[in-house]
Amino acid sequence: MTLSSALTIINSSFAATAAQSSTIASNIANVNTPGYVRQIANQATNGYGGADVVSIARQANVALLDQLNVSTSESASQSAIAKGLAALAQTVNDSATASTATGVLQNGPSPSAMLANLQSALTTYAANPGNASLGQAAVTAAQSVTASLNGGAAAVQEVRSQADAQMAACVGSINSLLAQFSGANAQIVAGLATGANVVPAQNARDSILTQLSQQVGVSTTTNSDGSMSIYTDSGVTLFQETARTLAFSPTPVLTAGASGSAVTVDGIPITGAGAPMQIASGALAGFAQLRDTIAPQYQAQLDQIAGGLVSAFAETDQSARPTQPGRPGLFTFPGATGVPVNTAVTGLAGQIEVNANVDPSQGGSVTLQRDGGISSPGNPAYTYNASGGAGYSARLTELASQIDAAQPFNPAAGLGASASLSGYANASVSWLQGQNQQANDASTFQSSVVAQASAALSNASGVNLDAEMTNMLNIENSYTTSAKLLTTVNSMFSALINAA
Amino acid sequence: MSILDASVSGMLANSNWLSGISQNVANANTTGYKNVETQFSALVDASSGVSAGAGVKTTMRSLNGLQGQVEGTSSSTDLAVQGAGFFVVSDAGGNIYFTRNGSFVPDASGNLVNAAGYYLMGANVLGSAGPVSLNSLSGLQKVNVQGAAASASPSTTASMVANLASSASVITAANLPSTNSAGATYTDETTMVAYDNLGGAHTINLYFAKTGANTWEVDAYDSGAAAAGGGFPYSTGPLATQNLTFSATNGALVSGGSLAIPVPGGQTVALNLSQTTQLAANFGVSSASINGNAPGNLTGVAIAKDGTLSFQYGNGSAANAYEIPLANVPSPDNLTSVVGDAYAANYQSGAAHVGNAGAGGLGTIVSSSLETSTVDLATELTNMISAQSAYEANSKVFQTGAKILDVLNGLQP
Repeated sequence: MTLSSALTIINSSFAATAAQSSTIASNIANVNTPGYVRQIANQATNGYGGADVVSIARQANVALLDQLNVSTSESASQSAIAKGLAALAQTVNDSATASTATGVLQNGPSPSAMLANLQSALTTYAANPGNASLGQAAVTAAQSVTASLNGGAAAVQEVRSQADAQMAACVGSINSLLAQFSGANAQIVAGLATGANVVPAQNARDSILTQLSQQVGVSTTTNSDGSMSIYTDSGVTLFQETARTLAFSPTPVLTAGASGSAVTVDGIPITGAGAPMQIASGALAGFAQLRDTIAPQYQAQLDQIAGGLVSAFAETDQSARPTQPGRPGLFTFPGATGVPVNTAVTGLAGQIEVNANVDPSQGGSVTLQRDGGISSPGNPAYTYNASGGAGYSARLTELASQIDAAQPFNPAAGLGASASLSGYANASVSWLQGQNQQANDASTFQSSVVAQASAALSNASGVNLDAEMTNMLNIENSYTTSAKLLTTVNSMFSALINAA
Repeated sequence: MSILDASVSGMLANSNWLSGISQNVANANTTGYKNVETQFSALVDASSGVSAGAGVKTTMRSLNGLQGQVEGTSSSTDLAVQGAGFFVVSDAGGNIYFTRNGSFVPDASGNLVNAAGYYLMGANVLGSAGPVSLNSLSGLQKVNVQGAAASASPSTTASMVANLASSASVITAANLPSTNSAGATYTDETTMVAYDNLGGAHTINLYFAKTGANTWEVDAYDSGAAAAGGGFPYSTGPLATQNLTFSATNGALVSGGSLAIPVPGGQTVALNLSQTTQLAANFGVSSASINGNAPGNLTGVAIAKDGTLSFQYGNGSAANAYEIPLANVPSPDNLTSVVGDAYAANYQSGAAHVGNAGAGGLGTIVSSSLETSTVDLATELTNMISAQSAYEANSKVFQTGAKILDVLNGLQP
């Protein structure tokens, strides 16, 4: 132990305190950086009694980070579903009823409200079948029903097309994040092998993982060389040694009944009902569920209502010995040849229209509602008012009651096999509002879980300014003392040199 | 006049000491410098056997066995010896020397050379398996850290720990992945990347299909042979197929724990599946690892305590390239000093023996460190004062002798 060795030790002290201060500086600078993990400079005594900063460690908490990523994925999928359902719910967002001269009118846009208006108009018309203006009111009410169904079907298509576009965006974002992950991962592997500082790369990798879990639910495993493998929540490999590529071909226009393409990884589909390895969370899963399950189901319900309308208002052969098949009456659709069965009505909600034969603006006559023969004007087989009397109201009364009469529906749409038209339309509105409410609740709940998980992670691995300040004071003291020591050794040397 | 001779030899000796001190002070910050010690020994008149008036002589000795402080640096090729021993170096002409000055940096052609211009010597072990023991100076060559080609290694072993969902439904024999039919389906799937002989990456699809209660089938396919758009049917059959049987009592794997997958253009990878379980939980991979690596460029060198210099590649792999030996002689203090803190063995020092660092009494090599000079300025300054006083004393004796001579001369008539 000599004066020279004292100088060497002081030198190492300066180097160590400098490294400590830069770590503290980094921590303080990132106190508000989301996901920043506090760094710790590990110091050890070296071979000649000095101090060295031997490594920079991260105060990471893997379990809490995983928890945050899982809840982020859940939240992202629920929020994706909730946004889509909110758009659909606009189409059934009924406003208050209004009283008019002809009775209570529903103001809302839902098929259920429009159906109630139609029933009311037909009943009023039936009470005064000779009044053509009441007939016109019934036609207008019928047009509102078709407009509501058409609007609902268009909204479904819009939501599905948007979900499809969002899926494409998710896939692009996931591929780009995986490429970034690959870079950070390689840096960590190479850095750990050579003993370089890998803390920035580890922070980057964690941050990429959190962004990735927004898009798709993931689970990770860490290997002995420090590299990480990523799997989807269903177990499909996204990253192991190299990044896998997610493939997806968007379908810009998704018509009713058409299913969009699935997202695949290495040829393995991870979305779609038939996929064995279907992902469960993340925005991608949410949009896929919206596009492939929720929106098509609502479409099917609208189609069932449309099919139910066509068959409820269909005209049958009135001959004493019926030979002609039933034909679409007040409600029809382009290219109609007969009344469709309820399993073959896909896309009908988008096509349903009021028969031109009762619409005066298209050269039709409103009295056909009363007299029958809408499907084929003048054809005696479909004429209900055989005498032609202006006071005939039986057909109108029958039509009004059809709306409340039980009829079969396709149970595949999820609302049972038999119901009245008005009951089915009400159930459909309730179903949609229920789904919307459920998705909103789930989204709110998951957001609060994310906030909790984020706070827990921040408490465990984030920067505490008080702790950093305390450390900073310690370092400052150590530095000042080392500097003082240096001055002392220097004056000792001076004394010696002056003595010589 | 022995009084004059003795004081002159005393002045000479002390000025030698001062020159030794000045050499030490000048080299107070020279890496690997060993301080010079000046030894005095009394002379004796051989004819009379009396030492009085015979004078003194000095011997300068470099204390080569001393350990300097090992100080950290930021370059991984800065080396220090902790303990006994010297680096084996050569000058440009190929002559072998020893040194403790380990401030090595690569020169233009990649050879590690220290500040004094000596090249570090080591045994080239690139490509040889296992540790190499060093015992002679022959066969050593200049350590070169440049031009190391990109390295790739094929995958040969892999392991995967996964859980297969026990509640999954059974897949009929006609639709198993092993049939490679268009309608083939599977229960679970995951992929692994394996490297071929040239370091090319092949994605291997691993399909797990439940074939019955507690029995599964695992199939490995080359992803590159998949049908357009991915999946079945592959243009070539499965690389490997195997049945897995699980215990009904604890869900552990009973048979089929190793799957031999011939990687296209590469080696056969032995995939260890023995930790696979079949429990009532969702499919999940809890660990998957495989050896082998893609081609990577040299990113750095690392030197271990035992002198093993390894090349670090960008892909995270490392390869041992050189063994850096240490050498020592029976009497290090008697080594012949040459310019640049280097020493040569001679008859007095004894023959050099070479060995791996840390073995046979030799010290260890510390990377990213340099050995400081052993000179202590305080000691040197104290010695300087002693030498100065001794010199002055000798000159007083000389003056006294000269006066006596004057007296003698005055006696002459």
